[in-house]
Amino acid sequence: MEVCGTHTMAISRYGLRDLLPAGMRLVSGPGCPVCVTAVGDLDVVVALARLPEVTIVTFGDLVRVPSSHSSLAAERAAGADVRVVYAPTDALELAAAEPERQFVLAGIGFETTAPTVAGALLMARERGLGNFSVLSLHKTMPGALRALLDAGESRIDGFILPGHVSVVTGSDCYRFLPGEYGVGGVVAGFTAADVLEALLLLARQQEPAIEIGYRRAVTAAGNRVAQELLARVFAPCDAVWRGLGLIPGSGLRLSEEFRDFAAEERFTVEPGEPVEPRGCRCGEVLRGLIDPPECALFGRRCTPEMPVGACMVSSEGACAAHFRYRAFDDPAGADD
Amino acid sequence: MCLAIPMRITATDGAAATIEADGLVQKTSLMLVPDARVGDYVLVHAGFAIAVLESDDAAERLALFEEIAGMAAGDEPGPDTDPQADKPYDPSI
Repeated sequence: MEVCGTHTMAISRYGLRDLLPAGMRLVSGPGCPVCVTAVGDLDVVVALARLPEVTIVTFGDLVRVPSSHSSLAAERAAGADVRVVYAPTDALELAAAEPERQFVLAGIGFETTAPTVAGALLMARERGLGNFSVLSLHKTMPGALRALLDAGESRIDGFILPGHVSVVTGSDCYRFLPGEYGVGGVVAGFTAADVLEALLLLARQQEPAIEIGYRRAVTAAGNRVAQELLARVFAPCDAVWRGLGLIPGSGLRLSEEFRDFAAEERFTVEPGEPVEPRGCRCGEVLRGLIDPPECALFGRRCTPEMPVGACMVSSEGACAAHFRYRAFDDPAGADD
Repeated sequence: MCLAIPMRITATDGAAATIEADGLVQKTSLMLVPDARVGDYVLVHAGFAIAVLESDDAAERLALFEEIAGMAAGDEPGPDTDPQADKPYDPSI
């Protein structure tokens, strides 16, 4: 199983599934941050966007993901102020330029992205930006892997571990996989050769182990500076993942020191009970239980143009990657 | 979403750096890689350098990128040609 959206894209784009020997099957896991964001959390973001004094700042993919009854795109069409940035620090410039408005950064992403939001928060404090806050929906990967294996339903024999998450965390954080579950893993880079190398290393393991294929960027210990920054700005919290449910300690909220930048402290919203999209099987896709075409909505009611589920929205979602590169049994449409 | 691009540091100003790859010049923060120096290749994600790369590796990687870009631009037309090749996909590094 791969647990990184960039791997999901690479595997589909290069058609790697078609190259594998019989007996080896690749499944996509919860590696796309947009996809694993829970509907209830999206509802909070939408509710914040409806506050007249608030501008929501986020990364592009989140805008089109359906919430219970809306989406950021729909709110923007209805007049809400929703802006897309490339880097969290861009949000600081927006906030500095319009001091009369409140800028809320919807912080999504795993250990790769969370340090960049932490860095932006440090800069916001230095600059005294009182109109900037963060709704932290960040998540950490080890807890999700544990939850998948604890559920015991997807029969995973090995993991292609995320390259850029591991740049920050280091590969040591996965040692519990062979130690407690007897499952090996290889940290992989993002070219076709990188992914194939990871599969080769996995297949050659006599005993389950954690190895690094992506040696040019990843070490066992990871980026200590980034880890220290994460530990200072964030604190672990329970988090709800789409498809996986509540995973204890797998989320990051702002620490006491940065609590005054927490959007949930600054604004009160009541988004109501979350409603999952009807018929959507993103949850099973994210757990590696089904391939995207097994969902009745796939390619019919749910397409990249009119997505029902989050996995079809983000380009690195398993459904979107599958739709784009395999074009479900339509040889004329298959471009890989 | 965890895309990161290898770029070379051409100048620094405290924790801010100017970085370059294939003619693209950007600013980034070195807050997460305080030991990075001018000339180093760094992996850049969302406005922050997150790792310093072994320079031989990075150069090799960039050469590979150029080769891939050449293929996508039509040097090797055929069934593998991606109709969306004009839309840059970044396989990260």
